Amino acid sequence: MKNHFLKILLFSISVFQLEIISFTQQNEKIWFDGLGRSYFSRDNVVSNGDTISPNNMSGGYNLIDLNVHVNPIPNIEVFGQVRVQNQFGGFFGSGTQIDVRQLTARGTFKNKIKFSVGDIYLKQNRFTLYNYDEDLNLYKSDFYNSYKSIIDYENFYEENRWRLQGLQVDFSYKFDRFIRTLEFDFFTTRPRGSSQINSALNTFQSDMLLSGATIYSKISNSISAELNYSTLNELPNSGTQLKSVKNPVYQIGLIHNYNAKKFNFNSKIQAGFSERSWSYKVGYDSISHRKLGMFFEYKSELSKMDTLFNISWGSRYVDPNFRSSAAQSRRIDMTESNLTTIYTTYSNDAVIRPISVFDIISDLNIYNQNISPTLMNFNPIFSNALPYGDATPNRIGVFLKGFYKNKKKYFDINFSTSFFSEVIGQGTSRKRTFLTFSQLTKVYLNEIFNHKKEFNFSLGYLNQITNREGDSIEFINLNSNHIDFKMEKELLDKVYFNFSTKRVKALGNEYLTVRDGFDEIITFQQVDYNRIDYLHALGLKYQFKKDVYIDIQYNFWGSEFNRANFYDFDFQRLLFIFSIKL
Amino acid sequence: MTKNYIKCFILIFLSFVACTKDEFEGPSLQNLYGDFSISSPFIISNSTPNFTNNETVKFFCDFNKSVDWKITIKGLQTGSIKEITGFSDIIDSNVVSWNGNTSKVPFFGEETCALELSFLTEPDTLRDTLIITGNKIYDGILVADFENGIPQDALVFHQFSMNMTFDTASDDPLNGNSYFKMGGRMGWNEWFLGSIDFPLDMSSVNSSAEDFYINLGVLSGINGEVASDQFINILISESNYPFNDDLSNNASDVFQDTMEVYKYQIRPVDWVGWNMVSVRYDQFEVKSSGGNNIRQPKNITAIKLQCQSCPGLSANCPENMGIDVRTDVDFLIFTEGADILNQ
Repeated sequence: MKNHFLKILLFSISVFQLEIISFTQQNEKIWFDGLGRSYFSRDNVVSNGDTISPNNMSGGYNLIDLNVHVNPIPNIEVFGQVRVQNQFGGFFGSGTQIDVRQLTARGTFKNKIKFSVGDIYLKQNRFTLYNYDEDLNLYKSDFYNSYKSIIDYENFYEENRWRLQGLQVDFSYKFDRFIRTLEFDFFTTRPRGSSQINSALNTFQSDMLLSGATIYSKISNSISAELNYSTLNELPNSGTQLKSVKNPVYQIGLIHNYNAKKFNFNSKIQAGFSERSWSYKVGYDSISHRKLGMFFEYKSELSKMDTLFNISWGSRYVDPNFRSSAAQSRRIDMTESNLTTIYTTYSNDAVIRPISVFDIISDLNIYNQNISPTLMNFNPIFSNALPYGDATPNRIGVFLKGFYKNKKKYFDINFSTSFFSEVIGQGTSRKRTFLTFSQLTKVYLNEIFNHKKEFNFSLGYLNQITNREGDSIEFINLNSNHIDFKMEKELLDKVYFNFSTKRVKALGNEYLTVRDGFDEIITFQQVDYNRIDYLHALGLKYQFKKDVYIDIQYNFWGSEFNRANFYDFDFQRLLFIFSIKL
Repeated sequence: MTKNYIKCFILIFLSFVACTKDEFEGPSLQNLYGDFSISSPFIISNSTPNFTNNETVKFFCDFNKSVDWKITIKGLQTGSIKEITGFSDIIDSNVVSWNGNTSKVPFFGEETCALELSFLTEPDTLRDTLIITGNKIYDGILVADFENGIPQDALVFHQFSMNMTFDTASDDPLNGNSYFKMGGRMGWNEWFLGSIDFPLDMSSVNSSAEDFYINLGVLSGINGEVASDQFINILISESNYPFNDDLSNNASDVFQDTMEVYKYQIRPVDWVGWNMVSVRYDQFEVKSSGGNNIRQPKNITAIKLQCQSCPGLSANCPENMGIDVRTDVDFLIFTEGADILNQ
């Protein structure tokens, strides 16, 4: 097996050296695919006041991910991904890394039971196991999609799934009376292994397991039901930590589907509850810091059969104590210790640079791949209404969203609005309210003017207003505006000129919550915002085909804080990406 | 159909609204960021307490938000100080009271005391006075207060060098009218100046070592200065050997290397004035393991206080050639459950 693996590796490197751009080999037992990428960036400081930071810095890498798929027997596939990465500046072996990035075996037992072992991508219900999009992600738009595709690929973000390591099994039954189908899915994974925290003190972190099950049944043509369960557990005996978390979450949903001639009407009602508790080796009793919470959601969706129009609406209640680790873990932890890669410190005082719009768009290292048993930090200027997605605790409200696609393909419109309120106040009995409106319009000028070459622009807008009435201490008013604009013109065949700009302006005040290790709020930090983040990008892109492109960009980005003793920053970047999906 | 649907939707939403709550999570914003004000005056329940009769003084005051507050009671004659602290929006008289004890020796006497209520983060200060009409009686097993001189059974030994003071005195007692002076100056290269040993019978004590406290008042400093590295060794013996078997040596015979002896060092004694030192018995280390190495208060048979100091003739502390050692002691008392200042 090792020899076989070595052959594969050597073969992959030789393929890379021969500069074969794209290839796929397939036969009955083994086939390959993968991805190659060259990445180079050069950043420089524009702010004149900063005499400590280097004026410019550059870096990059070449990498190839070779995916090997092996079918040792029919219905069984073994998948391995090997990465060879070489940092620019490395010379031969120096700076070169070879990693096994993914390993999975999957197959079917007797054409009845499907299974996957190893790296698996899991998603359940939005309240039990779900990897919500990061902040500023407006309708999964294609703004800055070169950056976005790298971030998603490097962090294993696929369709709001968490990439975990473990075992998954699913199977289903069909019936000819009472109910039509009954589908089962079970998984158990280990998001975190036992590891040493401090070698001097000989302390170890415990194993963390995430397990769950889904049962889905199509009761009739129009009615179906689902049951989801997930549970996060730390195993106290696998470490030396004094406390271990346990977080089971239950969800049940009923779906009604009605098909008319031209429209489809779909309604779903779901509810669930969670328990999050800690067991202790010493000190506390078993009910200390125990939280029990529930949620309830009603949602209806009306869509045209031709998929050109869709509108959905509903209402949701999520209890302040609802805790679902696998649904509430954020992609970006906005804690101060989450450091940016580019210019981590800036200004002559060498202060830590806060995460800005540019970092959210471009910095893959600030992203998280782990499940957190406690609520992670968020920045209210980027996301205040639903920082933990639909599973955000302490929210009650209504929402409406939809899209319309012009039949002649002249334009698409996405829109969304919601109004939420806190269920319980924070630091006061008065409650915050959150009003959000967003839209994204894409206009295809080439269709309007009947040009063959692509020419389009997109305009996105998000406005979030947070309010809390009350006296001068309780009062909150935070207005956050997020504007996106992108224009794309095909100059020559498959050569595109891009201009895009993103601007986030936040004005007002808020209180940031500071929580302890048990997720309890211990204090509030008063903050005032008058901040503008911006990112402008000019670029040329040569798209050989859908997943093979060269992208050259120049970015202008920075933040203006408009506060005394808080330095603004202003940077520029030259970016080159050559990406090949094999 | 549509009307029914809308009705259902509104009903569901209204039922949600009914779920909102009037409490709040986290600390009160008023506490964190609100302006501070005192809602009611500072009240003391008893302005002439007689602590001998177990009377207490209760305090009351309330504020508009929780703050770090401190009540300071200062004896105007003795200079004794008692401090009571807390973080709350009310000083509850059912919880906050004073029984006449002190936070910093000397002990309170029958005297007028100044009271002060202050706040860590606010400039406000409230003041009052009271008169102590009877001193607090401390519970414990008194070993020595030197009011009638050196106890009869005690054994005193000291070197014969300069200014040796191993005797009682009345000029600056911690409690009562007398105390025991332990000090002097060594004329040769010797750390040990002298000691005083007391025989004990603790057979009636039931406390464990964790609940048993040795409390000792220690006076240090001459003209505001202290000798370098002067200290007191406290030795406790659980040996059943006769206390004074050898009459020729002016010291007890139960602290030998073959016996069950435990030791605690008050080192350095580097303060000026009186200080009350309280040590739990389980904090004592094994000096000589002639027994089972289990500290059992009921088995204590003797205690020794040794005065030691870095000698001036040593190269380490030549400055001690010009200053006398002073580690005077008073009010040696054993307490159970709590140290003496927390009674």
